[in-house]
Amino acid sequence: MNTSPAHPAADRILQSARQLRERLSGDLHEQVVEAIYADAARLAGRSVASPGQGALPTWERAVDRFVTSRIWGFPIMLALFTLMFWLTISGANVPSGLLSDLFIGRIYPVLSEGAIRLGTPWWLKGVVVDGMYLATAWVVSVMLPPMAIFFPLFTLLEDLGYLPRVAFNLDLPFKKAGAHGKQAMSTMMGFGCNAAGVIATRIIDSPRERLIAILTNNFALCNGRWPTQFLMATLFVGSLVPAHLAGLASAGAVTAVAALGVLITFAVAWGLSRTVLKGQVSTFSLELPPYRPPQIWRTLYTSLIDRTLFVLWRAVVFALPAGAVIWISANLSVGGTSLAEHLIGWLDPVGVVLGLNGVILLAYIVAIPANEIVIPTVLMLTVLSARLSGVGEGAGVMFELESPASLKQVLETGGWTALTGINLMLFSLLHNPCSTTIYTIYKETGSVKWTAVATLLPVVLGFLITFLVALCWRGW
Amino acid sequence: MNGMADGLVIAGGMVLLALLCWPRHGLVGRWLAARRLARRVRREDAIKHILKREVNGAEATVDGLAGHLQMPTRQVLGLLEDLEHRGLISFEGGRLHLRSAGRDLALHLIRAHRLWESYLSEETGVAEVQWHRQAERKEHLLTPQEADALAARLGHPTLDPHGDVIPAPGQPVPGDVGLPLNAADVNQPLRITHVEDEPPAVYAQLTAQGIRPGMRGLLIEKLPHRLRFWVDGNEHVLAPLVAHNISVETITDCAPQDLLDEEYLSGLDQGQRGKVLGLSPACRGPERRRLLDLGFVPGTEVFAEMKSPGGDPTAYRVRGALIALRKEQAGLVRISSLRPATP
Repeated sequence: MNTSPAHPAADRILQSARQLRERLSGDLHEQVVEAIYADAARLAGRSVASPGQGALPTWERAVDRFVTSRIWGFPIMLALFTLMFWLTISGANVPSGLLSDLFIGRIYPVLSEGAIRLGTPWWLKGVVVDGMYLATAWVVSVMLPPMAIFFPLFTLLEDLGYLPRVAFNLDLPFKKAGAHGKQAMSTMMGFGCNAAGVIATRIIDSPRERLIAILTNNFALCNGRWPTQFLMATLFVGSLVPAHLAGLASAGAVTAVAALGVLITFAVAWGLSRTVLKGQVSTFSLELPPYRPPQIWRTLYTSLIDRTLFVLWRAVVFALPAGAVIWISANLSVGGTSLAEHLIGWLDPVGVVLGLNGVILLAYIVAIPANEIVIPTVLMLTVLSARLSGVGEGAGVMFELESPASLKQVLETGGWTALTGINLMLFSLLHNPCSTTIYTIYKETGSVKWTAVATLLPVVLGFLITFLVALCWRGW
Repeated sequence: MNGMADGLVIAGGMVLLALLCWPRHGLVGRWLAARRLARRVRREDAIKHILKREVNGAEATVDGLAGHLQMPTRQVLGLLEDLEHRGLISFEGGRLHLRSAGRDLALHLIRAHRLWESYLSEETGVAEVQWHRQAERKEHLLTPQEADALAARLGHPTLDPHGDVIPAPGQPVPGDVGLPLNAADVNQPLRITHVEDEPPAVYAQLTAQGIRPGMRGLLIEKLPHRLRFWVDGNEHVLAPLVAHNISVETITDCAPQDLLDEEYLSGLDQGQRGKVLGLSPACRGPERRRLLDLGFVPGTEVFAEMKSPGGDPTAYRVRGALIALRKEQAGLVRISSLRPATP
């Protein structure tokens, strides 16, 4: 408001504008919006014919009543998601095996021999082929198939219009935790992949609830962690009970860990919304779009390009250097022992207090690009640090064992007990997100602070819970 | 060994000394700055009080000031001497008068305070009871330039969330409009023009009861020891002391019965239809803009289509779209219910 005496005319205009404004009652923005709607309604009434009043298809209402009904709402949801996960997990096995056969079984030996024949120095071949290539090949072969199945299925449900109904059904518990019903969708996406889950929070338009959804997405057990869960449950939980109950007990243990993740999601959301996020803006709105026949090809294309390849690309970018680091740590010797063994030695006291061990902690540090390579790294490091011979592929080379019995034998030689297995399951749920997810969180929030919170909060929780479990276990 | 220990003690002592005496950032510096700020805050609060009394046609007294600032009278006299010395006020004919520098300062404080409250209500999720307290601090920290920038960012608001006029720079601040609720007639439609935010305890009670400026209501009953006040769909029983904090003006464009017939969207049962009358003044900031953008504007027809299995939220059909709102939000939309649509 520059009222300079040089412009008496401008002054007069400003003066009268101020007077006119004072005469307006109520909010200017509101009046503009009302006027726009009034105009739009008038135009629509004049030019849009609506044949058959209440043209809303009755089947749509019937479906809505059904999927949101008190009795059927939750069973339908549960059945659909169980089906989705079953399809993903069981359907991914075959292509995963094929890819791993191709990348690790066929291409890797060719590359390895080729490098030797070309006279490449052993360390260069180690860093590039045994480190970078193998880590990347591993990430791609275990990550790609589940995502290529899960994301299209998820997008299909989204496209159909069913997912907003899920958010509608589940809003009440999320509301009590101070979160948004749409977080149900990003959490479910998180069960597929946390990085994609964090991106999926974009649908939440209220800043506070969106931040909550981002910070708690890691508590949804992602695809990369399911194999660790299944393996540990089979090896260590199944063996705690009689053989005929083993399958049930291990399945129950995995479900319990996933359920614990959901519980922690609510608890952390509750805590955050009442403490650090108190002053953030919070609104709620949820549109339930009409049901549409899904566009299969478009769905396939967008979910493969936008989600699968996008996430895979970020994972590969991080897997390359991590593979090199893993190989170097196992092969770079300081004072006669490898760097990895030094690190394991340092981390071991902490690991033992938490009911884990140094190998696991180191594996979680170096395998930050993807949860998928944690188990191969653990195996490689166990063989390295226990100085086992005749098992594995050599220092710094990740591998997997086909038979559970020999796997368990290797681990037990490394000093593993049932407590280690159970705490690894818990730590796999509660540790920092993979680097892809961390980077995505940074991209989405644009804030170092919230990225740090999202990264460190699960680790702190993980330390706390594994420590308590170890304490109770040893107390017996 | 001894030499090293001595060295450590000396180094520690120096670090401690630096911690204490570092210019501006040391503990002493900070303490002095805090003291200076506290004194300035007291001076500015005094000036603001004098201006507020003046525009409401009352006289600022030493005792009133002492009560307002919660200071002993003797200290208030010292404070006033300081203010006079600084050329902010003058005593003329035994009365306190603001000089023009003091008036400008007080106007800026009031403007900064009300702008900050508007900012908190429009752009943050800070709880309503916190607004006044935070603005009381912030008004002393904002410069006039910052206040102008804030006003521009908020779209030059004219009223703060309590219904008070935000004075434009250099403009006088008008006195409170309306009369206290205690003075209003029974059964006369009223509009709340102002909810006084001091003392905080009374304000917190009124906020908790959902009483906001801009709401419409009427007095149902007036007894010496209590008032029954019907406002925006709810009846409140208020003590006269509490009611005194509410200022109202009478409105003539509606009958008492119209007010009592008002309903809220949250009261609409599944399968019922209603017409939006407007949004409650309690709905502010992003929440309000969101509801407006979704089409909850006067005249819009709303149909309560289905409830979530937990009973909350409810999905409403608005202009052809199905929008789910939580109970608290639906309670902010005033409607008049329509008879079930004939098939």
